[in-house]
Amino acid sequence: MIAMLAASQGLSPDDPSFWMPLAFMALLFVVIAAGMVLDGFDLGVGILLQIAPEHERGRMMSLLSPWRDANEFWLLLGMGLFAAAFPFAWGAVLGKLYGPLTFMVLGVVLRSVAFEFRIRARTELKPRWIFAFWAGSIITAFGQGMLLGRIATGYQSDAGYGWFAMFVGLCAVAAYVLLGASWLVMRVDGDLQRRAANWARHAIRWTAVGMVAIAVTLGLANAGIFYKWSNIAHLSLAASVWVLMLAGFVAAEMLLARLPGRADRFSWLPFVLTVALFLLMLSGLAYSLFPYLILDDMTLWDGAGALGSMRLVMAGAVVGIPVVLVFNILAYRSVFGKERRPVPLLPPPSY
Amino acid sequence: MDISTLSLARAQFVASLSFLAIFLAVSLALAWVLLFFKIRARWSRHGGWTAAYRFWVRIFALAFVLTLAASVPVLIQIGSLWAGLMDKIGNVAGPLLGYGILSVFILKSCFLGVMLFGQRRVSDAAHTLAVLMVAVGQLVAVFWVLALQSWMQTPDGALLVDGRYQVYDWVKVVLNPSIGWRMAVVMVGAALAASFLIMGVTALQALRRPLGEGERSAFKTALVVAVVGAFLQLPVATGAGQMMAQLQPAKAAAAAGFWESGPVPQLVLFGWPDARAHTNVADLTLNNAGGMWLHRNPDGTYQGLDKYSGMLPPVALTFWSLRVAAGLGLLMLVVACVTFLWTFRRGMDPSSLPTWWQRVLCGMMFSGGIAVVAGWWVSIIGLQPFVVNGTVTQSEVLGSMPASTVLYGLAGYVLLYALLLAAFAGMLFHAARYGVVPVRKLIGGAP
Repeated sequence: MIAMLAASQGLSPDDPSFWMPLAFMALLFVVIAAGMVLDGFDLGVGILLQIAPEHERGRMMSLLSPWRDANEFWLLLGMGLFAAAFPFAWGAVLGKLYGPLTFMVLGVVLRSVAFEFRIRARTELKPRWIFAFWAGSIITAFGQGMLLGRIATGYQSDAGYGWFAMFVGLCAVAAYVLLGASWLVMRVDGDLQRRAANWARHAIRWTAVGMVAIAVTLGLANAGIFYKWSNIAHLSLAASVWVLMLAGFVAAEMLLARLPGRADRFSWLPFVLTVALFLLMLSGLAYSLFPYLILDDMTLWDGAGALGSMRLVMAGAVVGIPVVLVFNILAYRSVFGKERRPVPLLPPPSY
Repeated sequence: MDISTLSLARAQFVASLSFLAIFLAVSLALAWVLLFFKIRARWSRHGGWTAAYRFWVRIFALAFVLTLAASVPVLIQIGSLWAGLMDKIGNVAGPLLGYGILSVFILKSCFLGVMLFGQRRVSDAAHTLAVLMVAVGQLVAVFWVLALQSWMQTPDGALLVDGRYQVYDWVKVVLNPSIGWRMAVVMVGAALAASFLIMGVTALQALRRPLGEGERSAFKTALVVAVVGAFLQLPVATGAGQMMAQLQPAKAAAAAGFWESGPVPQLVLFGWPDARAHTNVADLTLNNAGGMWLHRNPDGTYQGLDKYSGMLPPVALTFWSLRVAAGLGLLMLVVACVTFLWTFRRGMDPSSLPTWWQRVLCGMMFSGGIAVVAGWWVSIIGLQPFVVNGTVTQSEVLGSMPASTVLYGLAGYVLLYALLLAAFAGMLFHAARYGVVPVRKLIGGAP
């Protein structure tokens, strides 16, 4: 398959100008997937802040605290890798997405500042920064959804497509709520867990609607993708992906309905299922587009920089990947499992 | 209303870059100041240095958070506003941007957490090392960014082939003709921004109450940095100015307000460059003194703005940005020297200054920051209409979005930046008044 791909580009498989872009693409996919899932639960918990009871909000933010530094870097890392490895696609892709990107960036800046400033703000101002973090999270999630909507419809920006992008934006908010809420279900006990399970059940329907809408639109709006999926060999693959997704949604819904309670032992499962659904969707999208960065217009080899520049980037990546890996393994090793709260020395006051 | 997409895009990019520049300058210089505090605290036994470190590390943390956040809009705007830019300079800019981000990642993930939250968990030596590495890491990251920025001013080591730059010598790209002076300008600017901030805040505290040991130590350090930095401005400004005259004659002529090419020109101190009449209105000039700052043709005449009809930078804005930067620079030099002469016999103690001079220092608190912004304006507005000097114009790389969308974007950014500036100032003044309480943040997988 690799050989076939190389032949289609008129290059030999061991030619660096063939395999380097491919390697960068794989890296970029990993970074995007990690960012979507790991920054995603962060985003989801942020969106839930204003509907959570007031006394739980501070706790929810400190729950995020251990991973915040790692979470917020995925976007920059992805941007850096994209710009460095595919400079010629960078402007071509981003230039078509000015509106949604501006939306997303405003949200990202607001939430990353709000999180750090809240820690250092005086007590009476903390609620304001929590509000800012919430607003930033919603704006970011909505902007990312709009991005996805634009990409799925082949970057068309007529009015109808605009409404579709907004619709996907709303579904993205729901999807991140699902991710954040199911993470909370896994992470905490008691009242907050009960609420989180409830939030997740509300969000799961809209997530499903959004994912189906993206998949259908992707096929209908882009003839190339429709063709790719509709031949016999791919139909069974498509069918199995659909069955998997359906099973994932049903299982998550059934578990959430039994939490807290009978399914306590499996409180981690909704989160894992949601992550799997996210990854499935992203892989589907990536597979649909591959090997194009802009469908039927620019392949990853067209987007990649000159060989000399790629070699430099590769040198940077060889230094960078181990650091990124070690740091992230250290940072995320306890992201699963229950919150461990400090043991109180005195009996808690009775209210 | 009829504003072109191009001018809105320029305004948006300049606004984002200015916001980044302020906090980058403050955090870059504060990191080194903190390293000094930390080392003094380690080797001298008196408690002032630890107190100074503790207070200013808070301000550093706020500035660093803002710097990191502010770099995201700039990066995204390079792709989305100037959509065609990377298609032309991608071979050069891609690796440089990538290295910049990688440096920030390494500094942030490996060292910043230890510096800000790990003081109790690691040994003192390890903590000092973390502070050192944060300072070095920031400098390295800034170096990559400035390498790209100065390359766009004075491109070298790459050739424009079929509309795309192809690199033939990476050493020449990175060490392009203006990187040295650009680095120097940014470092001196950062030193002044941070030192005047420290002096201003300490003077504000001195106006309210007797100062502690830590505040006096911080003031002493800042004063020395301010004096040295203010004097270093002179050679650095001269060098950077002559570099500009040699390699960017249009920018130099705009900054000098020099309209007609000709023999020995006047030095225009003040005035209003009128772009329609091609002359300066109400100007104050020195005769025969301007030659040093202009490009000299082989025939001995000096190159004026008449050589660049249609390709002029906004003359008045370039002209005045330079005068604001230079004026503030001179003012800072005077203030730093006066303060030094006033206090050096009294151990550089700010409380020995008269009240009105303490007020002056408070007033100068943000002068270094404003000068840094003005300096960036000269650099990037004077480069217009180009993004890469002499080859790529802004209008040819501009994305295709409608003006109204860019206007909404600009409004959003301005609103956000105003909010964050106000928040930073609010937290700075609150900390100056009531001190700081150490914060704890669980990092890196701790329960």
